[in-house]
Amino acid sequence: MFDIDYTFHWITVWNVFPEMLSAALVTLEVAVISMIVGLTIAVFLALGKDSNNELFRTPAVIWIEIARNTPALFQIYMAYFGLGAFGIHLSPYIAVLAALIFNNAGYLAETLRGGFSAISRTQISASRSLGMTMFQTYRYIILPQVLRIVYHPMTNQMIWSILMTSLGTLVGMLELTGKTDQLQSLSFRTFEFYLVAAVMYFVIAKMVLLGSKLLSYKLFRGDVA
Amino acid sequence: MKLMKKLAVTAVAILALGTSANADKLDKIISKGKIRCGVVLDFPPMGYRDTKNKPAGFDVEYCKDLSKALGVELELKSMSFAQRLPALNAGKVDVVIGSTSDTLARAKSAGFSIPYFVFKLQVMVKKDSGINTFADLKGKKITAALSTTPETEFLKNAKGMGWDSANYFSSKSESDTHLALLQGKADAIVTTDTTIVELLKLDKYKNYKAGPFVPNYDDFVSIIVKRTEYGMINYMNLFIHQQIRTGRYEELNKMFYGNSPVRKLTVDGIYY
Repeated sequence: MFDIDYTFHWITVWNVFPEMLSAALVTLEVAVISMIVGLTIAVFLALGKDSNNELFRTPAVIWIEIARNTPALFQIYMAYFGLGAFGIHLSPYIAVLAALIFNNAGYLAETLRGGFSAISRTQISASRSLGMTMFQTYRYIILPQVLRIVYHPMTNQMIWSILMTSLGTLVGMLELTGKTDQLQSLSFRTFEFYLVAAVMYFVIAKMVLLGSKLLSYKLFRGDVA
Repeated sequence: MKLMKKLAVTAVAILALGTSANADKLDKIISKGKIRCGVVLDFPPMGYRDTKNKPAGFDVEYCKDLSKALGVELELKSMSFAQRLPALNAGKVDVVIGSTSDTLARAKSAGFSIPYFVFKLQVMVKKDSGINTFADLKGKKITAALSTTPETEFLKNAKGMGWDSANYFSSKSESDTHLALLQGKADAIVTTDTTIVELLKLDKYKNYKAGPFVPNYDDFVSIIVKRTEYGMINYMNLFIHQQIRTGRYEELNKMFYGNSPVRKLTVDGIYY
C-alpha cells in the first residue's frame, strides 16, 4: 500500500494535537448527551410499544421502526437539510445531536423491551398487591432488574454512538473526524492525521469499556447478565 | 580471459540494474504506455460531468493534453478534494490535475508544479442582502466547503478582523454549500469566482449575486505529483509552459470561461 519512500512527519500532527484533543471532547460530549437523553426517551418508547393504548403505541412503533431501519447518515441529513427545506435551521452540532438521540432512542427501546420481557409479569402484580404505586413498581422492582440485563448491550450502544458521531462531518460538524479532515488538508499529511485519529477513537472506546466495567461493579457488584 | 568474462558479467549486471532500479515515474509511465490522471469532478468548470455523464472540464482537457504529449493512453480517475494526496501516495494515480492550491505547508508533502491556473476567492450572497464589502460579512452566517482554501482563507481573515467564529460553519462539499445558501442556512458562501459565474447561469440563483472578494489572496493552483518525483515535476513545468506558448491555455480559457479575460499566471516583481 505505502510506497517504501514515504516518510512520516509526526511533528505536523503534534503541533496541532491540542486541537484534536478538544475535537475528541466534542465527540465524547455528543455521544454521552445523545446516550443519556436517548435512554430516557427509550424507556417511554419501550413502554409505549408494549402498551395497549393506540395513542402511545403508534408513535412509539413509528419512531422505533424509522430509527432502526434507516441509515444513521440519512437521519443526520434529514435533521440538517431535511428540516432546512422547511425553514428550520439547526446548527450542524444540534442537528447531529438530535439525529443521534433519535437513533439511540430507537435502538435502546428495543434493547429495553427485550429486558422488560425477561422479567416475569407476575412481579408487577406482586408489587402492586404489596401496595406499591405503578411508578414505585417500575422504579424499585422492574427497572433495576432490566438495567442489569441490558447493561452490556447498552455499553455496546454507547461505543457505537461514539463511532457514529464521525458521520457528523458529513454535515460539516467539526468533531474528531471533521477536525482531522480540516487539519490534514492544511499540510496534506493525510496518513499521519488519520492514523492518530483512529488511535484516539480506539482509546476512547476502550476507556468507555473500562469505565462501564467499573461502574457495573459499583452498581451491580459485577453481577450483570 | 577470465578477467574479461568477469568484467562482461559485471557490465551486463550493471546495465540490467541500471534500467530497472533507476527507472523513475516518468520512465514507468512511458514503458507502461498509460498515465493515470486524478481529477475532481464536482468543481465546474474545472471538472464536472457533462450531460452524457462523461468527465469534462478544464482539468480533464489538461489530462488529455498531457497524455497526448507523453504519447501514452489516458486513464482518468475521479476523486474528492480530500482524496488527492492519499491517492498519489498510495500509488493509485500518477498525477493530480485538481485545482490544488500551492501552499508552503502542503509543499512539504506533495511535489508542486508551477501554477497552471489562478482563482480569486469570492463571496456569493442574495441580491437584497446589503452585503457589498468584505467587512459587511461581520455577524453573518457564512459557510464554505470543509478542508478547502476558501475556508482556510476566510477563517484567517475573520480571525484577523476579530469576528466571532461561531457564525461560521463548514459544509462537507461545494454542492452542500450551494444547498445551504439556497435554503437560507447561510447568508453567504465563500468559494471561487469561477464557481459563482457558473452558478449565476442557473435560474434558481436569479436572486443571488457575486459579492466581495476575500482580500489579499490570489489562489494559484498547481499540478501535483509525489514529492520525490523530480522528473515528473520538471515535465509538468514544461508542459504548463508549452500549453501557454502554443495558445492551448487561451483556447481552453475561451472554451470554459467565455469572453472573460484570459487569466495571467505571472506575479509582478519575480520569476517563478
